[in-house]
Amino acid sequence: MTCSLGDSLEGIVDAVRHKRIKLEHIPFDLARLPYTRPYYLINRNEGDKLDNRPEEYFYEILFSAVSRALLDADLNRAEIKDMHVFFGSTSMDVPVFEGNHRKTSATVSGMFLQSSCGYGKIAGAIVERFGIGGNCYSFATACTSSANALLYAAAMISERYIERAMVVGYDLFNNLGFYGFEALKSIAASEYRPFDRTRDGLILGEACGAVVLEGRRRKAGDFMHLGGANLCDTYSVTSHDEEGSAVAETMNRALKQAGIGPEDICAVKAHATGTENNDKTECAAMRATFGRHIPPVTCVKPFIGHTVGACGVNELILFTESVKAGFVPSTPGFREVDENLNLTPLTENMETGKGIFMLNYFGFGGNCTTLILSNTDNKG
Amino acid sequence: MYIHSASTFTGEANADINFLKEEIRRYTQENFRRVNRFILLSLLGALQCVHQQPLAAATAVYLTTEDGNLGETADILDEIYTSRSLPRPFGFINTMSNTAAFYLARNLGIRGRNITVSSQHLSFERGLELLKTDFTRGAERSALIGGVDESSLSRMDRKESAGRGWRMVDGSGWFYVKSEKEGACGAFTEIMSFRDGPSCMRWIRERERSPAAVVSFGALIGDDEATALRETLRPAAEFDYLRDYGYSGSAAACGVSLFVRLFQAKTLLHINRDQRGNYAVIELERY
Repeated sequence: MTCSLGDSLEGIVDAVRHKRIKLEHIPFDLARLPYTRPYYLINRNEGDKLDNRPEEYFYEILFSAVSRALLDADLNRAEIKDMHVFFGSTSMDVPVFEGNHRKTSATVSGMFLQSSCGYGKIAGAIVERFGIGGNCYSFATACTSSANALLYAAAMISERYIERAMVVGYDLFNNLGFYGFEALKSIAASEYRPFDRTRDGLILGEACGAVVLEGRRRKAGDFMHLGGANLCDTYSVTSHDEEGSAVAETMNRALKQAGIGPEDICAVKAHATGTENNDKTECAAMRATFGRHIPPVTCVKPFIGHTVGACGVNELILFTESVKAGFVPSTPGFREVDENLNLTPLTENMETGKGIFMLNYFGFGGNCTTLILSNTDNKG
Repeated sequence: MYIHSASTFTGEANADINFLKEEIRRYTQENFRRVNRFILLSLLGALQCVHQQPLAAATAVYLTTEDGNLGETADILDEIYTSRSLPRPFGFINTMSNTAAFYLARNLGIRGRNITVSSQHLSFERGLELLKTDFTRGAERSALIGGVDESSLSRMDRKESAGRGWRMVDGSGWFYVKSEKEGACGAFTEIMSFRDGPSCMRWIRERERSPAAVVSFGALIGDDEATALRETLRPAAEFDYLRDYGYSGSAAACGVSLFVRLFQAKTLLHINRDQRGNYAVIELERY
């Protein structure tokens, strides 16, 4: 995984444990706006800025994350060849077009229209680079993209259609997203504070994460995907029904598919974008699902930002690696309870060992995805 | 996976968007504002497909696409880079191609799974694999699955289609599928994936089912390869949908759905491949 906290899992977990974050402020130069907005950026050399070598940089980050996941899983060449690739992203390779246009007189849109090789290009590059022989599935479901990639990879392994999968979530900084979310007035001014009374929006981040899934545990601490669900909340293309019924139904379907009840969940990783609609919807849904006994809730976006389509894989890595290190992360930035929500996420790390965890993801287009993960030997 | 209806819309490249809106009014009273060509194409093909069919609320949507929302993504990039302004909010949201599947689900009042997936040259086939997984697991029992693509300006696509004499079109091909056979007009009987041509050919030679009445080939199956497959399969007919109906990123979805509507023959074998040499075969049986 590579994100604003670095590219070493130990370093990322250490930063999470000690609530260290790294936030930069970016101006809207193109639109000549007189202010900046925060962004969780991957640490770059000067030579790796968007306008220098965009394509090489884009694929270096990608291949590095995939390479480290393969090493961590300790796969041999035959096992790698046998894999299938599940990829999820919101921006796909738009950052490459945005960067490349600076070197030519062509417009970004012209380059995009004439040179785009479709949503499948990035997954195709992964299989080419690593000699993977399996199929590619690229998910484009906005902020649930890589969560859905995980959901289907796990399902196809469970059905024994495939042996193992490489699941990748990747979104790199791009002006399309940065200016787009600003146009929606969704970006917070300075600090990420989901569920806080003073929250004022989301803060974008960039990240690339890769996980290897297969039908058996390789190492004692490995997590197992117990179940999951996806459905469409048709309330609005931009927001979810604040009653939370569709989101609650997604959580309940995921629990049912995992063969467990709400009382079995040790902690919830909330989607927690920090927008008012998300917070209201997600709180209502958790109350509908868990009743008065909502498990401890953590929000990990304040550590790495909202990495949009990549958040499924990257938040899973951040969360599971923290649990492997013995804690469920706190939510930095949370200070004041919102009386309308009456929910206080973890403000300090919660010591934990083994358990079953719920991970929630929502996106534009009413997309709702819930994953249930466990590091216990048995379900319960 | 039983097919209960199928539909295809292929339109001239860059046709007036009002024509698409006019066509959609034949199937729904809803007035779609703030939508783009990709969304309208998705709506048109899918609403045709389920027109006057009662749908369960839990019906899922699987939208497959090569390029997704090309046109409006380019427009929004222009607003940022050329007009140097913040983009239109709904224009930005619609750059996310799953909004097409959302508008479809909302119009039909369905809230099952809602997935938009892509895979270079094999998007429709990969979407069918996801659908098969969900049906097998009992996660879904009815679904709309389709392939949608705007006509592409891609240099590679243009070169490929011009070289083979295909015209570039907008394409939207859809199927309404259920796990129940009753009332079905056909079924997807096989969705097979192969890592190379010889494995695909071996499966074709060894398949014990009745011979395919009709065979069709995807865009990357070359002439020599098609000849070898024809000799092996000896079909009663070949459906050259690319020549007859044009090329889009979703030509495979359109071609297979056209077979259901146009042919009386019992079985179709659709053979496709990607640029890496991975093959996929769809076997479809009509009732």
